[in-house]
Amino acid sequence: MTVKYQSQKIAQYFYTFAVILFLVQVVVGIIAAIQFLKPDIFILNFNTIRTLHINALVVWLLSGLMGATYYVVPEESETEVWSYPLALAQFWATVGAITLVVLGYIWMGLNPQANITVMGTQLLNEGREYIEAPRWADVLIVISVLLFLFNMFMTMMKTKKWTGIQGVLLFGLLFLALMYLPGMYYSKNMIKDQFWWWWVIHLWVEGSWEVIAGALLAFMLMKTIGAKREVLEKWMYIEVGLVLFTGILGTGHHYYFIGTPKYWHWIGGFFSSLEPVPLLLMVWDAFRTTREARNVTNKPGLFYTVAHAIFNFVGAGLWGIIHTLPQVNKWTHGTQITTAHGHLAFYGAYVLLVISMIYVTLPSIRGVKDYNPARAYLAFWWMTISMVFIVLTITGAGMVQVYMERLMGLDYVAVKTTYNLWFWILRAIFGVGFLVGVSIFVYDFFMLGREPAEQKA
Amino acid sequence: MSNKAARNLFIFGSLFFFVIFLGLTVDTMNQIDGRAPEVTKEVDAGKMVWQKYDCIGCHTILGNGSYFAPDMTKAVERKPDGYLKQFLMDPRGVKPTAAMPKLGITSQEADDLIAFLTWISKIDTNGWPPKPILAAAAGVGGQGQTRGQQIYQSQGCSNCHNINGIGGTSGPELTRVGANGKDVAWHVKHLKQPRSVVPNSAMPPYAAISDDDLKSLAAYLVTLK
Repeated sequence: MTVKYQSQKIAQYFYTFAVILFLVQVVVGIIAAIQFLKPDIFILNFNTIRTLHINALVVWLLSGLMGATYYVVPEESETEVWSYPLALAQFWATVGAITLVVLGYIWMGLNPQANITVMGTQLLNEGREYIEAPRWADVLIVISVLLFLFNMFMTMMKTKKWTGIQGVLLFGLLFLALMYLPGMYYSKNMIKDQFWWWWVIHLWVEGSWEVIAGALLAFMLMKTIGAKREVLEKWMYIEVGLVLFTGILGTGHHYYFIGTPKYWHWIGGFFSSLEPVPLLLMVWDAFRTTREARNVTNKPGLFYTVAHAIFNFVGAGLWGIIHTLPQVNKWTHGTQITTAHGHLAFYGAYVLLVISMIYVTLPSIRGVKDYNPARAYLAFWWMTISMVFIVLTITGAGMVQVYMERLMGLDYVAVKTTYNLWFWILRAIFGVGFLVGVSIFVYDFFMLGREPAEQKA
Repeated sequence: MSNKAARNLFIFGSLFFFVIFLGLTVDTMNQIDGRAPEVTKEVDAGKMVWQKYDCIGCHTILGNGSYFAPDMTKAVERKPDGYLKQFLMDPRGVKPTAAMPKLGITSQEADDLIAFLTWISKIDTNGWPPKPILAAAAGVGGQGQTRGQQIYQSQGCSNCHNINGIGGTSGPELTRVGANGKDVAWHVKHLKQPRSVVPNSAMPPYAAISDDDLKSLAAYLVTLK
């Protein structure tokens, strides 16, 4: 098995950058977990560590999705990428820009006064969660994404084979790029600031990213099982349609208590309660298709694909719906319940998605027909069991916090440092377990297809 | 359903919901200015300070942020301004066990930040954060008790009345008694002799309590809105 088009191999650059950042993300995540117990343990304060933790996450997932797109579009269009040098240049420009941003965060962490205001915006860290990257970096990121989309669009124009999968994939990416723009709007009014900020955050993870996930799910089921394109694409349209029908107005579940009008309680509550429906449909889709499987060659690829569908539903769907109604959210908003949801949702919906794409496409990129799947499974169980327990400990911490702080009126700090202590200890321990899983995965990523044949099962 | 029909449903359905979303966005933008005080120069400067020090990397504000440190939405209501300023500039000088490091916040920056947080505390957040049910009943809500709250407790008012769900159901609920338009003088009169203002009231008179204490209790009741 090998790639049909040589330029598909560009995906490997993006995958490599992604898995390295994944490792970085988890290491700083463990530092952050320990800082819950001892805030002064590290040279950088919690805010810098957390900024690195969530930014590494966003960047590595985007890098993985870009790599996946570089693989999918040539295959669907049945032609080489329009410009290989442009793709390579876009990759290195992205790596360069991200490195500069990270160095800026660390510098600011060591010396907060270095974060001066230049032309009405902060030089090193914009101080806005998830989109901390300063304005100059925003511009570079937009240029990089536009070059990427342009290259993909020109590739499609070469043969004009408009398949549903690549159409939806590129629509999702275009939507993603457009939804980055509201984050660059500065408002003196914090309510407006938060309103537009949610356009970026929510319409990414509960909009465009889920659309991309729907397209890639169809692609992976087709690749691993050889399922019929027509059936897959029909369900894909229904899934991503429902994602947007519920997800766009579901943004309202962030507008309950930030100063926006009360009608969002009705709109957000109703539509976001329906958000798990398309995710459940994806699970059903994965199982329905898998049942037809006769001879699966890439078992780990299929395994991760199905696991992604399941944990997307559990993490983003179930852990989301428990606190999405305004009557409940009134008590849980701003507590660890949200953190628990965030961890399981990102893991299930996007971490497993990118890893699935890597296992589905990497063997052909490396030119191997078969490989030893032992490490892929081992990594999965280490990561998944650890993540489930991380999420359970944070959920427990959140329940205690809601009861003691919100219902009983205890002080935030008292609850955090006393009643939740054991949850933080256990979370840090399971964090190390997660790191073990990630290390196995990253090692497997570099070794896949590069070992002598006798090691194969 | 054919693939083409499914595709069209996806495209036009999504467009439909996005247009609705845009309409609501325009309406929300028009309403926001009326839901908070005017943004002054100091408030804007304070917002820049908030961003400069990446405060949201630890704290939450309006419930959004990092969940590592207390929510700042009502911070100025919980702490006097003087305390806040001193704390911001040197957290451990004020409270040795504080997790917050000394960030180098200047006196001017602290003033601006407090102006920003004061503005934040005045936003109409649809009642968030909620008052803690149990603490509100006990009259402690995370802050010191007022004289009126103490009397409410010592006189056992919650045997019959309830506030925020805690207390008895024999008498009327008092959670929003302050919103009924009655002033302190009315309440004092009512407490001394309920029947003098509410004919047939079943509540006993509390004439034995001193006038000052009755006024404190009444002052507490009118705050319940």
